Amino acid sequence: MLSSDCLWSFSSTASVAARSYSHGKQETDEEFDARWVTYFSKPDIDAWELRKGMNTLIGYDLVPEPKILEAALRACRRLNDLASAIRILEAVKDKSGPHKEIYPYVLQELQPTLNELGIPTPEELGIDKA
Amino acid sequence: MSLAKPAMRGLLAKRLRFHLPIAFGLSLVAAAAFKFAVTEPRKQAYADFYKHYDSTKEFNAMREAGVFESVRPTGK
Repeated sequence: MLSSDCLWSFSSTASVAARSYSHGKQETDEEFDARWVTYFSKPDIDAWELRKGMNTLIGYDLVPEPKILEAALRACRRLNDLASAIRILEAVKDKSGPHKEIYPYVLQELQPTLNELGIPTPEELGIDKA
Repeated sequence: MSLAKPAMRGLLAKRLRFHLPIAFGLSLVAAAAFKFAVTEPRKQAYADFYKHYDSTKEFNAMREAGVFESVRPTGK
């Protein structure tokens, strides 16, 4: 169940386990972030790629950086998908788990983008409470 | 007051690094506690019972009580 590869990735800064090689150069956090910003910045990204990207990203042991989320939100704008944009915000809150300081920080960093694109937060819509 | 950037990576890994050794440790303690509180006393109880057990005497007592079909009580 816990392979030795997983144990190695616990002690490294990168949290990607798409392929559990213990050989090969470890991707830095900056390279990881840049790769995902590029992914979501594709001008003609399609709806499938947006969903696939978000689902893959959510599977990692990390809360995505605001700059990745910004690129994803802009992709939602290009695809006229407000629902996914709000869902992304809900996903960030969920990924934070017990660490309640992460979501407010991410919202703070994304505020200019949210204002520019006219994206309401779940809290503003009142859908954050069951 | 703008918020400082919190840790956003490896949160599960950090949690597991803390909780998994505790989980393994507690499991081992639970197993050890069961062994010494239940298993060993039980084994000792059996050992004590059979230490001076006279099977022939017990057999005859049962025979006289009439619980067997293969042998009747003595006399009669």
